[in-house]
Amino acid sequence: MNERIVFEDVSKFYGEILGVNRVNLSIPPGITSLVGPNGSGKTTLMNLMAGLVKPSRGRIEVLGCTTDDPENLFKFVGYSTQFDAFPKGLTGFQFIYSYLCLSGMTRQDAERSTQQAIERVNMMDAASRKIAAYSKGMRQRIRLAQALAHKPRVIVLDEPLNGLDPLARTEMIALFRASAAQGCYVIISSHILHEVDVISDQVILLSNGYVVAEGQIQSVREEIQEHPTQILIRCDRPRELAAKLFEAEYAVEVSIHKDGRGLLMKTRDADRFYLAMNQLAMNGIQIESIAPADGDVLSVYEYLIGSEEVMR
Amino acid sequence: MAIYRRNYRPYSGALTPEWSRFLVLFRYFRRNLFRSKVQTGFFVLCFFYPIACLVIIYLAHSASFLAKLGIPSQLISIDNMFFFRFISVQGVLAFLMTAFAGPGLISPDLANGALPLYFCRPFSRAEYVLGKASVLGILLSEITWIPGVVLFFIQASFAGASWAWDNLWISGSLILGSLIWIIILSLLAMALSAWVKWRVVAGALLLAVMFFGAGFAQAINGVLRIDAGHFVDVAYLIGTVWIGLFNIEAHNAISAFQASVALVLYCSICLWLLMRKVRAYEVVQ
Repeated sequence: MNERIVFEDVSKFYGEILGVNRVNLSIPPGITSLVGPNGSGKTTLMNLMAGLVKPSRGRIEVLGCTTDDPENLFKFVGYSTQFDAFPKGLTGFQFIYSYLCLSGMTRQDAERSTQQAIERVNMMDAASRKIAAYSKGMRQRIRLAQALAHKPRVIVLDEPLNGLDPLARTEMIALFRASAAQGCYVIISSHILHEVDVISDQVILLSNGYVVAEGQIQSVREEIQEHPTQILIRCDRPRELAAKLFEAEYAVEVSIHKDGRGLLMKTRDADRFYLAMNQLAMNGIQIESIAPADGDVLSVYEYLIGSEEVMR
Repeated sequence: MAIYRRNYRPYSGALTPEWSRFLVLFRYFRRNLFRSKVQTGFFVLCFFYPIACLVIIYLAHSASFLAKLGIPSQLISIDNMFFFRFISVQGVLAFLMTAFAGPGLISPDLANGALPLYFCRPFSRAEYVLGKASVLGILLSEITWIPGVVLFFIQASFAGASWAWDNLWISGSLILGSLIWIIILSLLAMALSAWVKWRVVAGALLLAVMFFGAGFAQAINGVLRIDAGHFVDVAYLIGTVWIGLFNIEAHNAISAFQASVALVLYCSICLWLLMRKVRAYEVVQ
């Protein structure tokens, strides 16, 4: 059995509207984040993965199962939409229980699994209340519980952190990590880039229906050649260090940090810089820390998709 | 790099048969439906006429009681016309019941964007439509052919085996005639419910299809001096089919076969409209 989620030359058009185009992906277990501006194709990619839409072209396999086979696919795929959508008049418990019955679970198993799912998202007290009376964060959590209740191996969550307060967010992230650590595939889309950075094992960057980059964020950053790597160096004598760095041919730009206790350097050859730093450190300059300043999702997103989109 | 322990265990319990899953929708919708006192009251009202028919059947076989009342026994005749009247009355009640219950079938799911939640389960669009249709199907069966067949067998028990054997076709006509009407009403109600997100408007549209259809048919026939206008009148079409099924002598502008073909066409259009709307996603331009 193929242990990956595979997209082979997948395109999806809604009439004349482009959803995604020529997508080739192979997603391993762990937390994978889909990042991109509105209308970039994140939801379409998730819907394709969950078999909710059929590709106009190409082939999709989720752990060896094609998305045309819902009976098998949804045994191990859990999905939560970004929309605040619920059937009318149900309590939190009924909401999860009824969908588990639709999945084919027997009443006893459905009841047990509903209880477990509600406990996982910490909603025990509110389970018997109508969803219409829930806060946005509670609705988000009960939707997550619905996606997790049948113990899926692939969990596809569209904007799962929207509307959650910081505490609930931390709990949810812990939940994603626990699922990923068990060998599950957690696919999430998010606009909150600093959180994506913290929780993701790999990212997929999308823009206008195309995959712009994919992989571990550090590897993606290393491949962006047109933007020199930015490195923040904290040291006791930044001006002296800056003067020495200016002499090196790998340095593109060096500037003293605003607080005067470090400097920001841009280089096209980070490896040579790191080697040279050992030498400089031995010359009496006390270096407190060296860290990449643009190795996060936000910077990669800005370089590949543009600062205007980041603002959107 | 994450380290995966791979101790994930999938659900390995028993599964219910695929064919039975649409009944989950039926269960939930029916429970909600009977929360309304008006709906429950109307459902009870639908059994008044069958009970009246039951009394008439009893009286028809109680010659001494009729004589006491001074009613000639030949005045009450339990035949194809009796059951035709039964299906006509119950058919109208079934239509009113559909106008109450039908609009709420799909429109709330569409208005609340809940369709992806159904389709991210091993549950197809056809099963969804079947599940929703079963709500009306079972509800309308309870007030049309089921009491009709019960009345038929009560009459058969009074009249004897030879009557039952000679008139067995009436029970077939009751079942077939009711099922055709139930299918039409269910598809029409669901199609309107899918295309009109407001429940009240969908209900009003269903009434309009029936009443304006009849008026429109009269207008076409009057202005153009033809009979083809009847094809836009669904009530006339089903009446023609019932007349054919119950072997009633009546002059009709179109044949039962032509009416049946027109009804099949209406059903196909409703099904097409439904499938266009019942999808897991909506394209927002």
